[in-house]
Amino acid sequence: MLKIEDLHAEIDGKAILKGLTLEVNAGEVHAIMGPNGAGKSTLGYVLGGRPGYEVTQGSVTFDGQDLLELEPHERAAAGVFLGFQYPVEIPGVSNVQFLRESLNAQRVGRGEKPLSGGEFLKLAREQAAGLGLDQEMLKRPVNVGFSGGEKKRNEMVQMGIIDPKFAILDETDSGLDIDALRIVGDGINRIMRKADKAVLLITHYQRLLDYVQPDRVHVLADGRIVRSGGPELALALEREGYAGVAA
Amino acid sequence: MTQLLDLPSNRDEAWRWADLGGIAAAAALAPVAAPDAEFLDLPGAKLLFVDGVLDEARSDLGPVTLGPVTLGAVDAGDHPLGRRASHGWTLRLAADAAADPVQVVHVATGRENHVAAAIELADDAAVQVVETYVGAGWSNRLARITLGKAARLMRSVRLLQAAGFTSLREEATLGEGASLVTTVLGAGDAGTRIDGAVTLAGEGGYAEFGGALLTRAEQRQECAVRVRHAAPNGQSHQLWRAVAADRSVASLAAAVEVARHAQKTDGEQSLRGLLLQRSATVNLKPELEIFADDVKCAHGATVGELDARALFYMQSRGIPPARAQALLTRAFVADALDRIGDERVREAFVADADAWLERAL
Ligand SMILES: Nc1ncnc2c1ncn2[C@@H]1O[C@H](COP(=O)(O)OP(=O)(O)O)[C@@H](O)[C@H]1O
Ligand SMILES: [Mg+2]
Repeated sequence: MLKIEDLHAEIDGKAILKGLTLEVNAGEVHAIMGPNGAGKSTLGYVLGGRPGYEVTQGSVTFDGQDLLELEPHERAAAGVFLGFQYPVEIPGVSNVQFLRESLNAQRVGRGEKPLSGGEFLKLAREQAAGLGLDQEMLKRPVNVGFSGGEKKRNEMVQMGIIDPKFAILDETDSGLDIDALRIVGDGINRIMRKADKAVLLITHYQRLLDYVQPDRVHVLADGRIVRSGGPELALALEREGYAGVAA
Repeated sequence: MTQLLDLPSNRDEAWRWADLGGIAAAAALAPVAAPDAEFLDLPGAKLLFVDGVLDEARSDLGPVTLGPVTLGAVDAGDHPLGRRASHGWTLRLAADAAADPVQVVHVATGRENHVAAAIELADDAAVQVVETYVGAGWSNRLARITLGKAARLMRSVRLLQAAGFTSLREEATLGEGASLVTTVLGAGDAGTRIDGAVTLAGEGGYAEFGGALLTRAEQRQECAVRVRHAAPNGQSHQLWRAVAADRSVASLAAAVEVARHAQKTDGEQSLRGLLLQRSATVNLKPELEIFADDVKCAHGATVGELDARALFYMQSRGIPPARAQALLTRAFVADALDRIGDERVREAFVADADAWLERAL
């Protein structure tokens, strides 16, 4: 589904990704772990197409299509979802409006019919309930005044509504207490654990992986994948730290 | 046309951002066909002025009278633009008068036209006035507003001319406990000068004067408002939003003046500009002149661009860039249009702002 080959990327002329190669197939969950500053978020942003993140070498294909050629909103319509490490606050735009615009823009982009207000609200309510997000928060401006945990749940509500093919989840577990972690983990499984979908789970900790079992675990350090393995690699990292395992 | 010789000069501080050349050019515009009258679907009086002349067949005067407008003994009218207008409409309402909205549509078909209005509300009277400007040419207006004790006027003005210039001179005097809420939306393609002078003459008055100016291409829109607190316990808010695209210029000058004995005044100015491109300009000038010691005056003036992180966030969810910009800009302007109390009117103004965004982005 996603094929990254020898990816190099820089920000403001500074090389961050330095030859990253990774393939994720349909039906798989891959975890990416690694020390702070390794380039994990940069990988997410590059896949999402954030301005200022310049690819200098390598390729990314998504379902055989050149992902790097697409505008950010076209990537979304193609089925790519980026869950942000730091979800952005948007004063003056309600969650409901934002989500409806998002979903319908994607549907229109794919040549599907937009959902009516009623259809959309039903879907939004279901997803909010599934992730334990207060219905009132759907009416509030996007992420404004949300706690860290609420922002992360809101990201997952968005993912549930948008129902993407491929999700990059950047530290979705940070800021969650243990109950919220379980709810979010269940949500990821419910929405994304399907034969025709795949997930790239960026995390620091083993604890999310207790709920969302990865098929593959990769260690990203200094802009490259330095080690790959099965779920046991995450446990080894938890015991021995990055220095021990990645060396 | 000889009158144009005595326009003010940009060397005069109060007119330094004014598009005086734009006024002369507007007045010289060749005639165009009259556009639709654009009345909102509201009950109440409807006045249609075409090139400054009442179209009686398409108007419904209700409580409004027409003719020479008596501007009161206080001030014969010395405003350099406003003094050109002497004929127009008068609305005098008693406390128990019907309070249906009064709508006025000003259609211009080229050249220049001048209309004066006197709005006088007796003690406790309340009314809503909605005005709309369409067409092309120079439309010049003087409004003299007098509010009696506890009278309330909600005034909403949309400037939608496709070309030319609209100049408004608004002079208001508020009696004890009176309330005036004026909201202006500049969402056409004409040049604009809004010149406001509001005096809270009685104790405990409440005044809002604000709105949104949306400019694009080479357009210049400007407002200069001065609120004078002449009595204690008054409250005033000047909340303006300016959005400038392309090479356009939007300018906001808002002054609050608090007289020595106007204690317990609460004045607020919030001026914010948004540049859609770096080639555009927003000028902001908040001014405070406070001679009383027990007052609360807050003021803020900032100019910025759309939040790049929010734009990327929205695009990453599938929203195309122009639509993401429109949603953020709409949110920026909403604060100002939210001041319109009547939902039907507010929705119409928001729709005009949306139409502008469609054209500009
Ligand atoms: N906007 C930026 N400008 C310059 N350097 C940046 C910027 N954003 C991130 N970096 C640098 O890129 C490197 C990788 O950052 P990031 O991808 O956020 O790491 P991680 O998510 O793995 O902690 C870090 O050294 C960080 O300082
Ligand atoms: Mg990160």
